[in-house]
Amino acid sequence: MTMRLSGKTAVITGAARGLGRASALAFAREGADLVLLDIAQDLSGVPYPLGSASQLEYTAQLCRELGVSVLARQTDVREMPEVETAVATAVERFGRIDVLVNNAGIAAPSGKAAHEIDEDEWQLMIDVDLSGAWRTIRAVGGLMAEQRSGSIVNVASTAGLVGYRHFAGYVAAKHGLVGLTKAAALDYAPRKVRVNALCPGSVRDDSQVEGRMLSEIARSLDVPVSEHEETFVQAQPMNALIEPDDIASAAVWLASDESRQVTGSVLTVDGGFTAR
Amino acid sequence: MSRSAASTLLIPADCPPSAHCHAWSVRLPDGADAAQLARAFDDAARTWGEADAGRLPRLWTEHVPVASGSPTAQRRLRSELYRPVHAEGGGLRAVLLQYADGPCDLVLVAHRSRFDARSLRSMADVVTGDASRDRFDLKEASAVAPDSEALKGWREADYCGRVEWAVGDGAAGYRTGIVAVPLHGTQADVLATVAVAVGLVLSRYENQDTPVLGALAGFPERPVGALGAFDAGALLALDMSGARSAVELVAEAGRILGGDGGWCDRTRYAELVAEAGGRVLAGVLGDALEAQGGSYLPCQTALFPLTAVPTRTGDGALQLTVHYQIKDVDEDSATRFARHVARVYEQLSAADEELAPADVELLDEAERQQMVALGRPVKSLDWRPDRIDEVFAAQAAAHPTALALTCEEQSLTYAEMNERADRFAAALRANGVEAGERVGVCLERSLDLVVTMLAVLKADAVYVPMDPAYPADRLAYTAEDAALRVVVTELADFPGGERLRRIRPDELEAYDGGAIDGAGVRRSPEEAAYIIYTSGSTGRPKGVVVPHRNVVALLAATREDFRLGADDTWTLFHSSAFDFSVWEIWGPLLTGARLVVVPYWVSRSPEEFHELLVRERVTVLNQTPSAFSQLMEADRHRADRLVVRLVVFGGEPLDTRALRTWFDQYPETRCRLVNMFGITETTVHVTAQTVTRREAMEGSRSVGPAMPGWYLYVLDERGRPVPCGVPGEIYVGGEGVALEYLGRPELTAQRFVEDPFTGGRMYRSGDRGRLRPDGRLEHLGRLDTQVKVRGFRIELDEIRNVLLDDPSVTAAAVVLGGDPVKDAAGVRIDAYVVLEAGDTEAVRRRAAKVLPEYMLPTTVTALTALPLTANGKLDARKLPEPAAPVALPGSAAPADRAVPTAETGTNGPAEGDLEVALAAVWETVLGVPVTPDDNFFELGGNSLYAVRVAAAMRDRGLPALPMRELYLNPTVSGLARVLNGGGQA
Repeated sequence: MTMRLSGKTAVITGAARGLGRASALAFAREGADLVLLDIAQDLSGVPYPLGSASQLEYTAQLCRELGVSVLARQTDVREMPEVETAVATAVERFGRIDVLVNNAGIAAPSGKAAHEIDEDEWQLMIDVDLSGAWRTIRAVGGLMAEQRSGSIVNVASTAGLVGYRHFAGYVAAKHGLVGLTKAAALDYAPRKVRVNALCPGSVRDDSQVEGRMLSEIARSLDVPVSEHEETFVQAQPMNALIEPDDIASAAVWLASDESRQVTGSVLTVDGGFTAR
Repeated sequence: MSRSAASTLLIPADCPPSAHCHAWSVRLPDGADAAQLARAFDDAARTWGEADAGRLPRLWTEHVPVASGSPTAQRRLRSELYRPVHAEGGGLRAVLLQYADGPCDLVLVAHRSRFDARSLRSMADVVTGDASRDRFDLKEASAVAPDSEALKGWREADYCGRVEWAVGDGAAGYRTGIVAVPLHGTQADVLATVAVAVGLVLSRYENQDTPVLGALAGFPERPVGALGAFDAGALLALDMSGARSAVELVAEAGRILGGDGGWCDRTRYAELVAEAGGRVLAGVLGDALEAQGGSYLPCQTALFPLTAVPTRTGDGALQLTVHYQIKDVDEDSATRFARHVARVYEQLSAADEELAPADVELLDEAERQQMVALGRPVKSLDWRPDRIDEVFAAQAAAHPTALALTCEEQSLTYAEMNERADRFAAALRANGVEAGERVGVCLERSLDLVVTMLAVLKADAVYVPMDPAYPADRLAYTAEDAALRVVVTELADFPGGERLRRIRPDELEAYDGGAIDGAGVRRSPEEAAYIIYTSGSTGRPKGVVVPHRNVVALLAATREDFRLGADDTWTLFHSSAFDFSVWEIWGPLLTGARLVVVPYWVSRSPEEFHELLVRERVTVLNQTPSAFSQLMEADRHRADRLVVRLVVFGGEPLDTRALRTWFDQYPETRCRLVNMFGITETTVHVTAQTVTRREAMEGSRSVGPAMPGWYLYVLDERGRPVPCGVPGEIYVGGEGVALEYLGRPELTAQRFVEDPFTGGRMYRSGDRGRLRPDGRLEHLGRLDTQVKVRGFRIELDEIRNVLLDDPSVTAAAVVLGGDPVKDAAGVRIDAYVVLEAGDTEAVRRRAAKVLPEYMLPTTVTALTALPLTANGKLDARKLPEPAAPVALPGSAAPADRAVPTAETGTNGPAEGDLEVALAAVWETVLGVPVTPDDNFFELGGNSLYAVRVAAAMRDRGLPALPMRELYLNPTVSGLARVLNGGGQA
């Protein structure tokens, strides 16, 4: 049995829970050794709890049980030195980094019109959702270019393609991430390093991966979760919410050599939402 | 520590980093204290590490939350063993895997340029407390440059090309597989003995005298207790020619592996390989033998396509592991290789002083039996020997009114043909032909040709077919060699003395002495029916004597599989002097089918031949691949569909890839394509391979398994079966083996030999081939200098001998030019001569008197001397580009052929315009400047180029070009005149 990612080392940010955990598990099932990063603490300014150290360790443990090697490191993508240290450790341990999944991101503070967002709220959103991805690319881009191989997967959102009312900061950051994807894809294409964006639609809060994005967005909009879910089920032509594994599978494909000619692309997994 | 250590290792530069990495792991008992191990490692690393590296290697401790014996744990350990480490930054990785049930694995991975295997083991001992770190220190290694004798040996060794005896997976990258077999034999000189065994197996597989192996060996003066890279590369050129005994070879290998003669570093290795234009296919690694008490991985990626590593199992028994690169070698072939090395190892271990490398056996009895059986078809032949003429008579009796023979407007029913042949036979008898006498048949493709052949058989004589297009000298030679008294021919000037009786078919026709007595007693089916002359390396063609029964067996072998029957229509396309025609003639006539004789000029024109196939509703077609490619081209331009249901390819190698467009038009369900390998000496065919889109897509070179009743062996020079996939000489036995070479008892004894495996006679073909594991044969061309050019079997030495017969030539070489794969029409016979006097044109003119047109060199180039190798052999690579083609006026178009007159339209372009257009077409096709008076054939034109000219003319809207007009009017001006209706030039 050959696994689709065996022999590869993948760095995943925001790996403590949610799509990060789902991706980590999917990667482990395909044989990738993992470097799991997460801020693993709450952040002032974000009105909901972020991933915890315990959740990060739990994700790591689940992956190890699948027979892969895991380095788990508490890392804040807003801090370049922390990112650099994490990457250096990963290289020392594994000798190479083949895949980077920029999954870390926040959905709130949101829920207000553009002019109502304050300076700190705006800066925080951009710093995590856009600049965070740029920092990890800064840390591994040169390495991958030197290896002459690598795949970077930026987890954006349908908010990277269309607008959402009262989410100006998030939408701006995710649009920025799609732009970063395309530009970086051109930068690294000559060195056979690929950069792609993955745009999930509305993903179900799954108890196994402890995702909570949908609830937090509902809360930002001040609507009941069930009503928000219903709105999105109807908005997504497949008439269903996206499951975390749907996103993880797409990430595996973009990470694997099966997609070796895919770069600068934006892959939507949104049940048809943006097809309208 | 020396930074140059990396270059002392003979690891090919194109290998990935993992080829440089080796790993050692030890299982620690329950209760190992991870924290203490980490401290011990840190302490030790401070001694081993480097101040300038910044970071010291550390021990990574990882919890593996599964039981140590589980598959998940094994996979985890494996991924750690196979994770490469860079030479920079310590060149070492240490990982402690702690399993859920207690045990731990300590895994050390190192770059070979930094640490050798013994260093890895020492480090593990220090960490686990089995040794004190004070005992160890880093030491520098240095390698001795090779001496001139070693260098000379390496330069003159035989390097390898593509692996032919295994199936590689081109998409595998550097993926490596491992197989292991037990080694029985000596416990001393294990590495040297393995090296010689590997070299010996390689020499057999690759047919090499001096195989070359790479090796990584340890410096003999390695300081005890030192850490560092104390391995060096060695190159072993092993002389398997017989000059040295096996025992001497092992001793010599031991000396080289011990550094005697100096080491080969990777720079020198790269130079040698580049110079040789080949590669080192196999190598040995010696450092796994001492690895006890743990598990040693000598390389993460095989350094050489076949990397042989002697090791010891847990209980100390010797085994051989072969790490193989999947891109070159499949698992079955690697296993076979390992088994053969082990078998040779055993014989080398028990060798006395005298044992020569050639005496060593690769195959054990079981595998030998398997190989003997592999070339035999599953189905046996159910048949009864009979005479050709009697089988024909039975067909004639069964369906007398069915058509037997058609040529242009004339046809004969079976009854008519039988009656006419009886009359011809009686006439032959009346002319003094006796039973068993050889009778020449030198006729154009016509009804009379086929009837005469049958008549000779009915007269109980032996027919000797000769092509009227052959030069007079060749015809004279054949008539003399076959001691002919009678020749049936239309050629009034058929060469030969007064004693040779020349009879025209119309004289036989006019005989009124009644028919031959069909009930008369005739010789047995075991006696000769025909003699076909084939090219010979002695410079003279030789007559192959084939009995009746062989032809009857050939039909019995194919009739059912090919569903041959009375509904079929076949063609006689080929020269009667080419044995493919034996199949074309007797195939239909012994199965009640109809035979359509294709006139020579029609056979030269794919367009006209296509018309004939449509008009006559031909169902069974036999073609050489080059003729078929022309027919395919013609088919593309025509609306009429063929009703051919079976195409049999023969006469030359088939490029199956070219058939894909054919399948688009004629799917396999409608028309079956069969590629057959055959030899005149074994009666036309030996094997049959049905070709489908799958074979075409794969570019298969299989010619299939032997037909029922036939069988084959692939043997080495000593007549021993070679292993699966390994090239050797093809031997053919069974019902098709001919009787002898006429009047050549010595040659007959050499080529028709006793079958040592099952008794009976078999024919030693001189062809190279290999048997695949499924019993199918791949034909790999000739062992000697015989080649196929456009379907003709040509002995280059025969041409060379003819050139040397010329008094003005003091030395000559003949080589095949052009690329047959890229362009079948571009294949040339290039001759090089050293002249005492005269010029090349005169040489060629004299050669044309003896050689048929297809054997005449396309180019003749004069040299002051032939380039030779150090051994005094011709160095073909150093021959210059040939001089521009030369040809003799009229040499391509036999003047004595009956040729229909021109029948072209009169509305063509003005002659001058047409001349310009024609010259442009010729220039494009031939690639040389063309003037109005240039002869097409002098410019290097041949039949394939002629077809291209016709196609190019059609594409440009020029008048249609009947082939015969080009042959009759081979100049631009002459052809333009004819095409404009001006008549023959």
